[in-house]
Formats: sequence, C-alpha cells, structure tokens
Amino acid sequence: MGAPDRALQKKYGSRAMAVAIVVGLFFIAGGYKPLAKGLVLGSLFSVINFVIMGETLPSRLGKSRRGAFVASLGSIFFRYALMAVPLVVAIKMEQVDLVTTVVGLFMIQVVILADHVLGGLRRKHPKQV
Amino acid sequence: MQMDVDTLIRVAAFTGGGIAMGFGAIGAAIGEGYTAAQANVAVSRNPSLSGDLFKNMLVGQAVAESASIFALVIAILLLFLDVPGHSKLTAAALFGAGLCIGFGAIGSGIGSGFPGGQCCMGIARQPAVVSKMTTNMLIGSAVCQTPAIFSMVVALMLLFMDFSKLPLFPTWAALIGAGVSTGLAAIGSGYGGGLAAGASCEGLARQPEAGSNLTTTMLVGQAVAQTPSIFGLLISFILIFKTFPESTSLSAAMALLSAGICMGFGGIGPGIGNGMAAEGAVRWVARNIKSAGELMRIMLVGQAVSQSTSIYAMVISLVLIFVL
Repeated sequence: MGAPDRALQKKYGSRAMAVAIVVGLFFIAGGYKPLAKGLVLGSLFSVINFVIMGETLPSRLGKSRRGAFVASLGSIFFRYALMAVPLVVAIKMEQVDLVTTVVGLFMIQVVILADHVLGGLRRKHPKQV
Repeated sequence: MQMDVDTLIRVAAFTGGGIAMGFGAIGAAIGEGYTAAQANVAVSRNPSLSGDLFKNMLVGQAVAESASIFALVIAILLLFLDVPGHSKLTAAALFGAGLCIGFGAIGSGIGSGFPGGQCCMGIARQPAVVSKMTTNMLIGSAVCQTPAIFSMVVALMLLFMDFSKLPLFPTWAALIGAGVSTGLAAIGSGYGGGLAAGASCEGLARQPEAGSNLTTTMLVGQAVAQTPSIFGLLISFILIFKTFPESTSLSAAMALLSAGICMGFGGIGPGIGNGMAAEGAVRWVARNIKSAGELMRIMLVGQAVSQSTSIYAMVISLVLIFVL
C-alpha cells in the first residue's frame, strides 16, 4: 500500500467523519440525540469498511489464483459482517436511530461523489479575484 | 406440519433476508471484479500510473459496492426488525421485500463496474484528464444505482407498511408480485445504464474536448434506459396500494403474481437494449463530435423502439391487474 493510497483513505475518511460530526452536532442542538448517534455510528463503520477495502487489496497481489480468491472472499464476508454491526445496534437500541445509521453507511460514497462533483464545478466556474 | 403466524413471519423474513443478501451480492462483486480486471490491463499498459490507477480503482469499487450495501440493509432489517402487523400478509410482504432488493441490486452492481473499469483504461491512455474522467465515472456510477434505489424503496414499503387489515386472498400474491416487478425490471436498467457510463469514460479518454457532449448523451441515454425500471416501479405501486376484493380463487391470486412476473421479466431486455443503444451513441460522439445531435436523435429513436417490448409487458400486467 503506497503513501498516496493511504492519503486518499485519510482524506475521504476524515471528511466523512467531519461531515457526520458537524451534522450530528446540529441534530444534538435540535434535541435529536438518537439521530446524531446513528449518523456518527453509521459513518464510522463506512470509513472502517473503506479503509479495510484499501488495506486488503495489495495483500491479494502476488498470491496464487486460489489464494487471491480466498483472500477476496474472506475480505468481502468480513466487511459485510462488519457493516451489519451498526444496523443491528440501531435495531436493538432505541437510543440509536435506524434511518440515520443507514444514511451514515453511505457517507464515504457521498463524500467521494460530492468531492468530485464540487471539484468539477469549481474547475468550470473558477473564482474571480 | 402446523405453523402459527409468528413462525410463518419468521420463516418468510429469514428466507427473504437470505435471498436479499445472496442475490444482492452477485452484481456488486462482478462489477468490482470487472473494475479490478480493467485496472490490471491499464497498469500493464502504463505502469508509471499505477498509483493513480489504484486510487481510481478503489474509488470506483467503493461506489459499485453501494448496491450490495442496499441489499445488506434490507437483509439485516428482515432478520432483526420487529415489523408492524402480525398477519400472514406480513409474511408475504417480507418475502417480497427480500426478492425485490435481491434481484434489484444485481444490475446496478454489475453496471456500475463498467465506468470504473473504463475509467482505469482511460487514465492509462490519457493521464492528463484523470480528474475529469473520475468525475465522469462517479456520475455515471451514481446514476447506475437508481434502479437499485427503486428496489430499496419498494422493499422498505413492503417492510414498513401495515397490510394486516387487507384480505389475505389475493393480496398475498400482489405483495410478492410487487417485489418481483421492480426487482427484476431493475436488472436490465442497472446493467444498461452501466454500458452507457462505461462508453462515456472510454470516449472521454479518446476525445477529452468532447466532455460536455459525452456527459449529456450519457445522462440522456441512462435516463431512457431506466424507463423499464420505472414501469416496474409503477406496477409495484399499483399492486401495493390497490385494494383487491377478497377472493379465494387461485386464478385471482395468480393474475396478480403474474402481473409482477410479467413486468419484471419484460423490463430486463429493454433495459439492456436501451443501454446498448446509449453505449453506441456515446462511443461515437467521441469519434465524431460534429454529429452529436444526429447520434442523440438516432439513439432516442432506437431506444423508443427497443422500449416497446417493456410497454407490451406493462399493458399485459395492467390487464392482469384490472381486467382479469
């Protein structure tokens, strides 16, 4: 795993958590604590999934075909099992909102999309100094 | 073997959950694998860009995985959530929800792998426009997820609406049919949308200055490719919201189930066909920008004709619901 790839994970991971925490603070200020907890919990697991995805990719290189298949399958099962954890917690605990937990699970995808779409718009309409 | 209502609901929820995640994992895994395969080809063509290609592959795969996360969410809800209403209809609704997202995630998962793969190939060919290409890939992949989102919406409606006051016969068939209709119809649209998005990334690498024309043609092509899944959604909504008079005859129930099956299967081919038409147009816009308008016109006419079979399926579904 090279430094640029880690930087990418760091960039999107930190942005996803920052968005979740800022929106979560707004929820807490409005008196919706379970919504904030759900969003932060879902986002945390979204980030962990993304990091594991990036970290385990190079480990599959240089393996035999069978080894790479087993490693890929194991990684997928592990990551899906991990993503199920916040959902089960939200279903079982009333203090954690289910809907915002689901939204949080897509936080990495939302941040990646927003980053590139906003970047594209900025390139199209550069700020006049 | 005698089965009480609670056991029946649990059986339906567990079966639905297994189908949701089992089928839902197929598409995303194929899509992610395609992206990785194309990234390998791209790295062997241009090894100096392996860092950029790796990053792009990772981002593309993360987006392609969304469809299977939708399936995961529904599967977990089916396994652990205490759903409203405790009647035999609840069991039918839960089973329908599992079918809906299980089938519905297949096409979007595979389809969103195409732009990721073509983007990697494009970066190897045209490293100067990495950022533009990644944005185009992400937009194309995101639009590919729409049919899976339709399936998730129908699955959530089946999960959370209370059907316990409706007559068991023939509503059970309507609820399963609703899940099958959107789920199956989403396969073609998700796959077809991916073809258009992949061609757009390829075209951008070939002709970067055709960027806006390519994106416009891709989005229009994807929008039309999604029509069969909208027809599937429409039939599902009718099956969910229409109150059917109580009837113990098997033919009444089979008419409603068949309406869902008819629209579901009937939407697969037109979704893929529309995607192929869009793929052709987008690919050739990059080679001949001057003819972009003409290519778009031919694409839309071709898609309209390819669409007709899904309209036939919808007509038969409506006849099955309202006439028979």
